[in-house]
Amino acid sequence: MTSPNPAAKRSFAQRISGERIVLALAAPVLAVVLSVAICSVLLATSGKNPFDAWNVMITYATKSDGQVLILNRATTYYLAAAAAAFGFRMNLFNIGVEGQYKVAALFAAFVGAQVDLPAFIQIPLLLVTAMLIGGLYASIAGLLKVYRGVSEVISTIMLNAISVSIVGLLLVPGVFAPKASSTSNSIQTDPVSDSSHFFSIPTAGGDLWGFLFIAVLVGVLFQFTLTRTRFGFDLRATGRSESAATASGVNVKKMVVISMVVSGAIAGLIGLPELLQNSYSYGQSFQPGLGFLGISIALLGRNSPIGMAFAALLFSFLDSTGSQLPLKGGFPFEIVAVMQGTIVICVVVAYELVRRYGLKRQQQKVGAQLAAQAAATEKKEVSA
Amino acid sequence: MRRSMKLAAVVLSGSLGMASLAACGAKSTDTNASSGSSSDALKVGMAYDIGGRGDQSFNDSAARGLDKAKADLGVNVTEAEAKTGEAEADKETRLKNLIDGGYKTIVAVGFVYQQAVDKVAKDNPNVKFAIIDSNDKDQPSNVTSLLFAEQEGSYLAGVAAANKSKAHHIGFIGGVQSELIKKFEAGYKAGAKSVDPNIQIETTYLTTPPDFSGFNSPDKGKEAAQGQLDKGADVIYSAAGSSGNGAIEAVATAGKWAIGVDSDQASQPALAKFKNNILTSMVKNVDNAVYAYIDSVKKNTPFTGIKLFDLKANGVSLATTGGKIDDIQDKLKAASDAITSGATTIPTAPTS
Amino acid sequence: MANHDINLTVRTGTVHALMGENGAGKSTLMKILYGMQRPDEGTIAINGEQCEFHTPGDAIARGIGMVHQHFMLADNLTVLENVVLGGEKLHGIGARAKAKIKEISDQYGLGVRPDALVEDLGVADRQRVEILKVLYRGAKILILDEPTAVLVPQEVDALFDNLRELKSEGVTVIFISHKLHEVLAVADAISVIRRGTTVGDADPKAVTARQLAEMMVGAELPSPENRESTVTTTEMLRVEDLRIAKTDAEGIERVVLDDISLRIHKGEILGIAGVEGNGQAELVEAIMGMLPLDGGTVTLDGKDLSGTLTRARREAGIGYIPEDRHKHGLLLEAPLWENRILGHVTEEPNSSGPLLKPAAAREDTLRIVRDYDVRTPGIEVTAASLSGGNQQKLIIGREMSHQPKLLIAAHPTRGVDVGAQAQIWEHIRSAQREGLAVLLISADLDELIGLSDTIRVIYRGRLVADADPATVTAEDLGTAMTGAAAGHLESDPEAVAEAQAVAAEGTEAADQHPHTDTADKPQAGE
Repeated sequence: MTSPNPAAKRSFAQRISGERIVLALAAPVLAVVLSVAICSVLLATSGKNPFDAWNVMITYATKSDGQVLILNRATTYYLAAAAAAFGFRMNLFNIGVEGQYKVAALFAAFVGAQVDLPAFIQIPLLLVTAMLIGGLYASIAGLLKVYRGVSEVISTIMLNAISVSIVGLLLVPGVFAPKASSTSNSIQTDPVSDSSHFFSIPTAGGDLWGFLFIAVLVGVLFQFTLTRTRFGFDLRATGRSESAATASGVNVKKMVVISMVVSGAIAGLIGLPELLQNSYSYGQSFQPGLGFLGISIALLGRNSPIGMAFAALLFSFLDSTGSQLPLKGGFPFEIVAVMQGTIVICVVVAYELVRRYGLKRQQQKVGAQLAAQAAATEKKEVSA
Repeated sequence: MRRSMKLAAVVLSGSLGMASLAACGAKSTDTNASSGSSSDALKVGMAYDIGGRGDQSFNDSAARGLDKAKADLGVNVTEAEAKTGEAEADKETRLKNLIDGGYKTIVAVGFVYQQAVDKVAKDNPNVKFAIIDSNDKDQPSNVTSLLFAEQEGSYLAGVAAANKSKAHHIGFIGGVQSELIKKFEAGYKAGAKSVDPNIQIETTYLTTPPDFSGFNSPDKGKEAAQGQLDKGADVIYSAAGSSGNGAIEAVATAGKWAIGVDSDQASQPALAKFKNNILTSMVKNVDNAVYAYIDSVKKNTPFTGIKLFDLKANGVSLATTGGKIDDIQDKLKAASDAITSGATTIPTAPTS
Repeated sequence: MANHDINLTVRTGTVHALMGENGAGKSTLMKILYGMQRPDEGTIAINGEQCEFHTPGDAIARGIGMVHQHFMLADNLTVLENVVLGGEKLHGIGARAKAKIKEISDQYGLGVRPDALVEDLGVADRQRVEILKVLYRGAKILILDEPTAVLVPQEVDALFDNLRELKSEGVTVIFISHKLHEVLAVADAISVIRRGTTVGDADPKAVTARQLAEMMVGAELPSPENRESTVTTTEMLRVEDLRIAKTDAEGIERVVLDDISLRIHKGEILGIAGVEGNGQAELVEAIMGMLPLDGGTVTLDGKDLSGTLTRARREAGIGYIPEDRHKHGLLLEAPLWENRILGHVTEEPNSSGPLLKPAAAREDTLRIVRDYDVRTPGIEVTAASLSGGNQQKLIIGREMSHQPKLLIAAHPTRGVDVGAQAQIWEHIRSAQREGLAVLLISADLDELIGLSDTIRVIYRGRLVADADPATVTAEDLGTAMTGAAAGHLESDPEAVAEAQAVAAEGTEAADQHPHTDTADKPQAGE
């Protein structure tokens, strides 16, 4: 009885993990279905045919240019989600991804414009610059938490506000922007040197950003670090139970600072696809809000590299195809925001329900399994 | 098994996107590209900045021009607007969608469109673009910039303010400390100093870029105006989008003079309560510019390069609603003549 | 199983004290009485009438009221508002309610002012408001959960006066506490709970504090066994002049540990006896490196560990069975094999260099599951789905897998079923035979006397007494635990022999385990 027969064990493990997958998928699928339903009702009450709207969106997603747009955008979203998720995995709420990527992208744009090295040095240089700046900026919150007990939520929110001022302070003619701007009324850094341009793959639907591979690499490294390294184990242990981690010998303070820096470093990459693949400069209208979007996507993807990939694709699909709605049928594009919002709310609730259900179910199963084992042993003893 | 599941998921998710990219190379534009040019009427697409039609300000003014063109010139129009926090790609997609819909004349409202317009215009040389409030010295030849001499109108506002100020103390509130708003400040100050070289001028900017909330935070405007009133200013010019509404409220409550911006604010319903305290407004006739541009395209003599709408071209002017500047009209006329004749040149950036 | 075979009879109009160590099952019992939890079996009868509580509402309807240890009052409301909150239907919320409050207050001498703001009241006053709140709802049976924990001595006296007043008016009071002298001062009857069951009743007029202490912590004395001593002369752990002082909210420095010096040799189990909260937890955390020291040194096997981090100490060979395994010992939502890595992530077979070796860790987890008889269907299930005993066996297996030089075992059998208990003891014993040094902390004197080679008594952060388990009785240990005795304890040899004989009778398997089944044993006080 001390070693249950391997066949039984295996089938049990299979059942558990099969069920786990179903449970893991249940929540997001439920959330998406629910939010589609809610938005359909909203559209219908505003006198629009919801099916036409979904049709517009799906049609666009089947077209090659739509797909390129979705993938390009998902690249940025995925990086944003990974940045947030890295902190979340150890219960560290880095709300400051927003500020970190802005500051990082600004510095990367500046360096990219000032330095002109061969591409194979230039591009790594810019990646490192952005990650370094993002990490440094995030480390402020980490150090404040460790040495002054300031909640990272508060400090990162403050740092987001400060980042806006930093950009405002630096993005002026004569500092990071050229003295004589080539454009009137808008200010941006000088365009980055040609060697800074990241490769892209020309497709029928337009240029697919090569940064997609960086995003995939980040995902792979993310997963590898968490599941295959000591550091990742310490990080997950801290996330699951700080007290147990402390007792197990994890230096939680050090972990807080390191995780914050890594999270910030990933955040530093968020602005680069746009910078190195599309606009080639950092201007006042550089897309804001990606940090917060990343938090939503991380939440939806359950902080798992695979889950976040799907979540990023979903959000990217919604945003990209949603922009078609006003032009093709006069649907309000706000419906996309409503949908994203309801998905996130539903998914949070659903995950918690599913988690509790799963835990309870496993306890029951283990109990039943043990009882069955005990009964079997008893029978054997009796017959023997 | 667990790991292989995950691996499978990765491969699946990756290949899903890629496979269909390769398989169905159809673009969303393929189907309706032909349907575009079926009608003879000129088709004009307009891409607004955030706020779109109904923002009581800049976008609305552009919309008025479009409406007038629709009514008077019989053009076919469509509109789209930006949403908050959108990506550069969204702007490009918006412009492309307009082109796909057969709209070969496109007006982009606001400098945020500069990059997108440059890019899309390069790819669509047969489409004509106009961009308001922005120009890029490298922009393609099929892009026309519609610019305004804000500093000239503001100069007149400064002249009016200096003449009306009893305390010899006036104020300027800028929404966002951007290059555009600095032009307002520069003109206003120059105008005021031309009347009274020793006049005291308060300057407050609500936010600095990239924080653009200064254009739509009436509370911030109100606070800034209150601060300037407390320091003794008795005429306050706010170039701050809807934040100016807050400033006007504060000034009116204090019984002092406010100067509005962009549209004739004394005639706006939302500000009707305060109209007795609105001295004048520095009107930026975006509608005229939009109409003139569409008209030029229609007549097959489209504007090219940079089209400056200055005082002379009636691109900027002072509103006279309420007749509160009637008594200084001759002084304003003199200043105005000096500008149009070129006798007065106005700085486009604040000197101090 | 939290509670079993609880028998409790409370007479009307008395103050009945319910005593037991932390974790003995008092709170569970109270939750059952108050309808917050339902019993699996057994009955509750009030005035001879059997009743069943599904919710606290049912209990209130039956006249049972509960005063929680942590007050449940809204600070920004007045006393009147707090009292009527949720009981608006009883006497309204206005003058009638106020009159009723005054009436109750006068009747029982509570001295409550209905219009005072709760935030202006002191702790004792708030407690009286809580009592009044319960009485207002018509309670005839009052349950007070550790009411004196938050009070200063004068307030305790005042509370006891209130309780006597209540009693004289016919109210029945159930008073939960583990403070011996208080219970003796106020109670008319005493019931003692240990390990989830009632171990006996006592008459406060006849019983002494020491006897009560024995009942609480277990007075059965198993034989320290005629086993060979495995204690060697090689010193493994040396703690010198340890001192930790915390500054509390009021800025007063409270000394948690002072002047602690102890040595443990290879093959020695040193037991620390003491009433909970006298510094045991801090001592453990200090040795583990989880609490910074204000003074003193910790040396393991000749290596000074004083300034090092927890991980370095674990790597140096300290194994740790924490007091609260859910909080400090396990990742409840992680699978077993990940829990096997916890605390030893830097060691073989869990990792090599910076990389984890999940396959090796899984394999080793299977070994632990097999060798330590962890009852589980597999190693992919979460730790939370195991029973307490199996969780503990997993922890012990994990800690033993790294050849520790020193094992810190804090309450290793708390909340563990009897069968697992015996196994856990045996594991500790066999490791000891192989030369392990063990620091054993336990509230259970049976366990301490049965396992230890030496016992030290901790009282208010100091080691005040020491004893040889072979020559000491639980009575004398208990005395030292209350601070009434110090120095080397040596009990009357006759008493020791007698106690050992009594214990040996009840424990047949005593040469292997301190005891295997508590239920078979003679219960003290009965």
